[in-house]
Amino acid sequence: MSATAGSHSLAFRVMRLCRPSFHVENPLQLDPLDLLTGEDIFDDPSAASHLPRLFSRSKASTNKSGEADLTYRNRFELQNPTDAMGIPGFLVLPQSFGRAIYLGETFCSYISINNSSNFEVKDVMIKAEIQTERQRILLLDTSKSPVESIRSGGRYDFIVEHDVKELGAHTLVCTALYNDNDGERKYLPQFFKFIVANPLSVRTKVRTVKDNTFLEACIENHTKSNLYMDQVDFEPAQNWSTTILKADEHYSEINCQTREIFKPPILIRSGGGIYNYLYQLRMSSHGSEQVKVEGSNILGKFQITWRANLGEPGRLQTQHILGSPISHKEIELQLVEVPSKTISGMPFLIHLKLINQTDKEMGPFEVWMSGGNSHEKSITVNGLQKLVLPKVEASGSTDFNLNLIATRLGVQKITGITVFDVRDKKTYDPLPDLEIFVDAD
Amino acid sequence: MDVEQNDGQTLTSDLQALSVSDPLSNQFSSLNDLCYEASSLQELASRGSWRSILDKVVRARKLSLLQKPHEHLIYLCYNVLALTKLRKYGEASEELDSLEDFDSARYKYETHPEHYPNRSGSMVPFALRWIHAEIPQRLGKRQETLDRLYSLLDFVRTKLKEKESKNMNFCVDRWKKREAFLISSISSHHLSHKEFSVCLALLRQLLNSDPSNPILLSKLGYIQMQLGDLEGSKALFNRVETLMTEGNPGALLDEVQFKNLVNRNKALIYLVGKDYVSAVREYEECIERDPTDVVAINNKALCLMYLRDLSDSIKVLENALERIPTVALNETIVVNLCSMYELAYVNHSDIKRTLSNWIARVAPDDFDSSCTRI
Repeated sequence: MSATAGSHSLAFRVMRLCRPSFHVENPLQLDPLDLLTGEDIFDDPSAASHLPRLFSRSKASTNKSGEADLTYRNRFELQNPTDAMGIPGFLVLPQSFGRAIYLGETFCSYISINNSSNFEVKDVMIKAEIQTERQRILLLDTSKSPVESIRSGGRYDFIVEHDVKELGAHTLVCTALYNDNDGERKYLPQFFKFIVANPLSVRTKVRTVKDNTFLEACIENHTKSNLYMDQVDFEPAQNWSTTILKADEHYSEINCQTREIFKPPILIRSGGGIYNYLYQLRMSSHGSEQVKVEGSNILGKFQITWRANLGEPGRLQTQHILGSPISHKEIELQLVEVPSKTISGMPFLIHLKLINQTDKEMGPFEVWMSGGNSHEKSITVNGLQKLVLPKVEASGSTDFNLNLIATRLGVQKITGITVFDVRDKKTYDPLPDLEIFVDAD
Repeated sequence: MDVEQNDGQTLTSDLQALSVSDPLSNQFSSLNDLCYEASSLQELASRGSWRSILDKVVRARKLSLLQKPHEHLIYLCYNVLALTKLRKYGEASEELDSLEDFDSARYKYETHPEHYPNRSGSMVPFALRWIHAEIPQRLGKRQETLDRLYSLLDFVRTKLKEKESKNMNFCVDRWKKREAFLISSISSHHLSHKEFSVCLALLRQLLNSDPSNPILLSKLGYIQMQLGDLEGSKALFNRVETLMTEGNPGALLDEVQFKNLVNRNKALIYLVGKDYVSAVREYEECIERDPTDVVAINNKALCLMYLRDLSDSIKVLENALERIPTVALNETIVVNLCSMYELAYVNHSDIKRTLSNWIARVAPDDFDSSCTRI
């Protein structure tokens, strides 16, 4: 068995068989009337009545009824104004093997093995595989039932398909084992390379406003063609439900006569175009406070199906989208009451509650106002800067007051009220800022 | 246009006011009445003999065969068209530079009363305005072409308003056709640059004023199919089929053409669903009905390829070129055939050369032979 280079009777030829495209052109076709007459000729009604007859030609240009039209008039004469659109309906075969292919698409190729010698070859075992960095995938193997013979000038054709799931360099490896005319068993390997690139990136942002979680997704198109977004679905995780939020239709769309048959498609421009989607998420289980799980908060993932020319599909799934992490809080500091009126320079009390959310006794605690020198802050503790709280039993709570004084008028912030666990030497996040209005005397 | 009439016919837009015109002195009885040897120009253009047109123009100018101002304009127009067809864009541009502004007095009938005693208005052929707009893009200045085309669209719409306000119905129809032509032309520029959203927005305007045009609806369907919106294209094709069953093509298509359009649209739907067998069947129905339906022939050949039948796909295209060369010989079919040759033959240059030689004998002057990729 020789794997020599040098004369092989057989050779592989390949053609990418992704979907065809419509032929598009800028045609040079005119109505002869617009060529042979001045543009204002129809102002003259006698012209208007006689000229069309002069130029009329039967619409059924050629066929069984009449004689054949042996001219190239269709390359010059406009049959209908809309012919100027330049999309007559011809389809064109894909033009190059190496054209970019993207993750999520299907690689499809026509493979033809030709016998260009003057003699017959026999017992042809053909194999086609895809070789990537990580693996070798078998697409076709005729070893179990080899092709008995390929005559001189003959051909054996097949079409292979492979869903592309890896990035980077791929090689279509075609091999043939055959008996040539001398009875010699020959081995022909041929390699056809192509590269798989990433078509899209999905950037997400999660925002929580009160009880609502909003998920914003921005899809960016890295391919060389415009991508039609056939389906972009967010699949929420188990305890979430989702609604997509869309902008209202523009009034011009609603009143448009052709609305039922013609909706503008969601099309993301090639080479960096983007489109944004917005979803509202809700926790579907009630009383979810108890169900909060320590660690990450998985919201769900995206399933995206796009289409390129003539509906060439591609499919991708994103990784899990995470919400803000939920930490199980050991203590909770709540603001219970704030006086309805605060006067500048006059001390006031705010009523707070410290809750122990664990099943063990905690404390004692120290409470103070943190952040900045006291003369920078407009509201400070009046009196002892540090307040000591006794231990709190498991699942229990303790109420206390903070004595504060405001030094400036207007809207001011009570900020930086911090709790420190003396025993565990742990500082907790401060109470969120609270705004109050400070009146004059 | 020989305006020496038997009576001093006054121009009026009220047809009723005119006396019955004498057919013998009808100034529009033949093409040659419009312009010196116009029928010859038409004949040469129909045959694609653009080089002969160039020769004819040179001769007419040299021998001063053109008597009237409008004839010079028409000959210039054919000259520019021929140069553009032959891809001599620089020369075409130079010819156009020799013109004054289209709206100048020089190109109005009333400026030349000795030639046109009773006529007023512009003698500029509308085609000349359009070609003038198209040339820059072919010289690499795409933006200039778009600007000119959009300005021309404004010009057409102004004329349309003017004629509508004067109830000049004969004119309105013509200017409406020009408007549709321009919008379609502008769309083709956006389409070839894949600016689909702009293109669709423009064509929706067209559709709003002509919602039952099956050709327009079908082409919109092709565009949606091209960008991947298969559901959208289906909806448009369904509308076309409904129009056919309602029996209302609006005199745009005859029965055979309409049926073939519907079949071809159906075939496309099968094709995108990968049901190539059904697509071939639809195309065969078209070809049976009209053996010169080259779109059906071409697309059928492609379907055969997707059915792994390379030999037959080649035969279909070769057969069409042999049987109906003047209809089938176009650059797209040749590109497809050459792709098939490259796949089918290791030594494909031989067979491509045979094809190329045949094309050289048969093709019109403007055929772009670079499509054989030899």
